[in-house]
Amino acid sequence: MKTSILTIASSLLLALGLSAASADTLADVKSKGTLTIGVKNDYPPYGFLNDKGEIVGFEVDLGKYVAKELLGPDGKVELVPVVAANRIEFLNSGRIDIILATLGVTAERGKVIDFSEYYVSAPGPSILAPKAATFAKWEDLKGQTLCGIQGSYFNKHLTEAFGINLTNFKTQPEAYRALKDNRCVGFAFDDMTLRKKTEEADWADYKIAIDPYEYIPQAAGIRKDDVAFRDAVNKAILKAEAEGKLIEWETTYGMPHAKYIAERAEAAKAKLKP
Amino acid sequence: MFNLDYSWLADPVYQGWLIRGTLTTIELAFASSAIAFVIGLFGALALTLRIAWLDAVIELFVEVFRNTPPLLQMLFFYFTLSTVGLRMTDPATGVSVPLLSAFACALISLSLFGGALCIEAFRSGLDSLPRAVTEAARSLGYSRWQRFRRIEAPIASRICLPALTNIMTNQFKTTSQASVITVPELMYYAGQIYNDTFRTAEVMILVLFIYVSLVSLLSWGMVRIERMLAFPGYGKGA
Repeated sequence: MKTSILTIASSLLLALGLSAASADTLADVKSKGTLTIGVKNDYPPYGFLNDKGEIVGFEVDLGKYVAKELLGPDGKVELVPVVAANRIEFLNSGRIDIILATLGVTAERGKVIDFSEYYVSAPGPSILAPKAATFAKWEDLKGQTLCGIQGSYFNKHLTEAFGINLTNFKTQPEAYRALKDNRCVGFAFDDMTLRKKTEEADWADYKIAIDPYEYIPQAAGIRKDDVAFRDAVNKAILKAEAEGKLIEWETTYGMPHAKYIAERAEAAKAKLKP
Repeated sequence: MFNLDYSWLADPVYQGWLIRGTLTTIELAFASSAIAFVIGLFGALALTLRIAWLDAVIELFVEVFRNTPPLLQMLFFYFTLSTVGLRMTDPATGVSVPLLSAFACALISLSLFGGALCIEAFRSGLDSLPRAVTEAARSLGYSRWQRFRRIEAPIASRICLPALTNIMTNQFKTTSQASVITVPELMYYAGQIYNDTFRTAEVMILVLFIYVSLVSLLSWGMVRIERMLAFPGYGKGA
């Protein structure tokens, strides 16, 4: 946790130093005519490179939409690829105006930045298992052997909280192979990845046997106490939700349609009704 | 200068993992060394019989298992054997499952790898026996088996003890590759711990220390055995 403490400390210092200078990002962005967005470029479907080498994705489209709302139809967007380790520093040092990069909402991050509306609820791990599998709850897996991937962040929790006996492989192909060999009764991994697997012909006899036990809300990262900018971003996100844009982008990027996004779309519609 | 943080060691889950991992490593190393020792002994004995087809079989065995990486052997046993039909039906669920567990695959691979090296070590021990000794035994009327048991094996095993120590320490370190086929040994848990805590340096230093301690203990024990078995004229029996 040394790096994150360093990150927090340095970004706190930067935030203090910069707060007077650029507390009004909205005005800055409007005068520049460009919104500089920190996005992922290696994380489909949220932000990734397409065949032409352009950064595209769910959060990239959201960023472009927000820019148009803030700056009008001529508003420009600058996409800056970020990774988990540097995105908060980039924001607080002024390198980017907003983070739209699979940013999970946590209390620790809430100390150094503000979050926008929570536009996505990212699923944690689920279980891929043969269609004949009889388990349906995480509690049913106590003492069972499940395949996993070495180093996944939820491995410790699965062992500790549910008493699952994990057999962890180095790579996904090995784990899929072991599941087919019945070395384990199911494969515990990132829900979105497993759901895509069930669509493949080879995996027609398999299902998502158990849904994720947790969802982590995902939001845009905004500099602390940048109230006018945050309000404007939130308004743009709500408008996108009310227009059903997020559901559209789910379709564009082959994501399963999440209940969370559908519900938020309904709520936004109700809210924006005159 | 070194800002090491070992606070994660206070977590009982990590403590349990490290202990279980260390025990699995020790178990795998000792079991495979014991089997390798037996393979080596009988392989070398068989070579002294000078039966052409048996020599060819043993030579092939040595060449195959000494000359392929243990990691490849483990992956082969783990993924390939179950595909070509080495399976059984689980009595509890009625599902067809692989016959060999991950631990069994690692044990077999390490035993055969170590066994191939042991055959060579014992053979070199037997080869270095002075011809006069075996001829003296023969002239005293020892049968082939008696000669091996009472004269050749005792002397040859003393001569090749240092080589055996090498093989055993190697065996110990090679167990770390079993993490690839999910054997929950020390490296397997170490990887999970540093992925959780991001304390890579601290975990690596601790694991290094555990390996060094275990292997040092092993070679210290082997030196003791060497001293105990020493007799005048050979090795440590000055």
